[in-house]
Amino acid sequence: MHREPADLLNAAAEGDRSAWEELESRFGPLMWAVARACGLSPADAADVVQGAWLRLLQHLETIKDPARVGGWLATTVRRESLLLLHKDRPGILSAEVVEDPDPATAVLETDGRQLLWKSVSALHEPCRTLLQLVAIDLGSRQTALRLGLPMGSVGPTRARCLEKLRTLISSQETAQ
Amino acid sequence: MTDDEYFLAALRLAAGNDPIPAHVSTAARDVYGLRVPRARTADPVECAEIRTSSGPRGADGSHLVRFVASGLTFDLEVTVGDGLIDIAGQVFPYPGEDAYVDVKTPHLTLTRALAPNGQFAATGLPPGWLSVVCHRPGRAPVQTRWVRIRP
Repeated sequence: MHREPADLLNAAAEGDRSAWEELESRFGPLMWAVARACGLSPADAADVVQGAWLRLLQHLETIKDPARVGGWLATTVRRESLLLLHKDRPGILSAEVVEDPDPATAVLETDGRQLLWKSVSALHEPCRTLLQLVAIDLGSRQTALRLGLPMGSVGPTRARCLEKLRTLISSQETAQ
Repeated sequence: MTDDEYFLAALRLAAGNDPIPAHVSTAARDVYGLRVPRARTADPVECAEIRTSSGPRGADGSHLVRFVASGLTFDLEVTVGDGLIDIAGQVFPYPGEDAYVDVKTPHLTLTRALAPNGQFAATGLPPGWLSVVCHRPGRAPVQTRWVRIRP
């Protein structure tokens, strides 16, 4: 039986462990992807993902929009990741609790992901290949070699390609 | 604020090249075992009393943080040394002689009685996520927000 995220949150708040496990199956992979996309090492990504689940545990009954708990978790992971990246001194880290998920987390939903991948294929070169290489985490040096670009231009090109992708997706969404 | 990370994450998910490791999923599922039913969450607050000239740090490099909820205040002094952390804390107003605290990490819970002035201590904890729960007979427990202690 497929349960909606809001039902899973309610059930987990009432002591249903299977609901929590279903939340993990559904949203764990995207949380991991967000932490890694932020540039965290596997060890730090594991820590941040665990922290986001701890955060959820304390907010099972107070999430403003339970239907968007996936976006809430992704936003929490991104904020905790950025906090970790920017604070390199010992101490106590605590990001603010997320109120509203970042709107861009919609791209992580299943429909959004399919649209995204289709849109990447529709991009011109070098963006199509570059984003496919980014997706498999090839690294700047290898990506530069594959595309025949100077290494220093991989980052800016990637940013431009993501912008093109964003524009393409919003035009497709408007057309629908 | 850029949100490229979500696009990059979606690309990574679509490529399937870096799936979530099994131990990360297991740790997430185990988090549920840390649930404290009916607990109120105490959030960190800025507090002039525990700030020093160098910010919220003690003279010995310890870190100070205050949490407040449901009329209860937790002051925690966290000291990091040799890769482990020590906590010296105080709960006030004193919640009574039957009250106690659990100092929680994802893998370890240490239970401590409170001194008559509400003080408690726990030493040799692993760095990482930490929370303290105050159990008060007849009243809902109060739990600090989980915070990450970076060594």
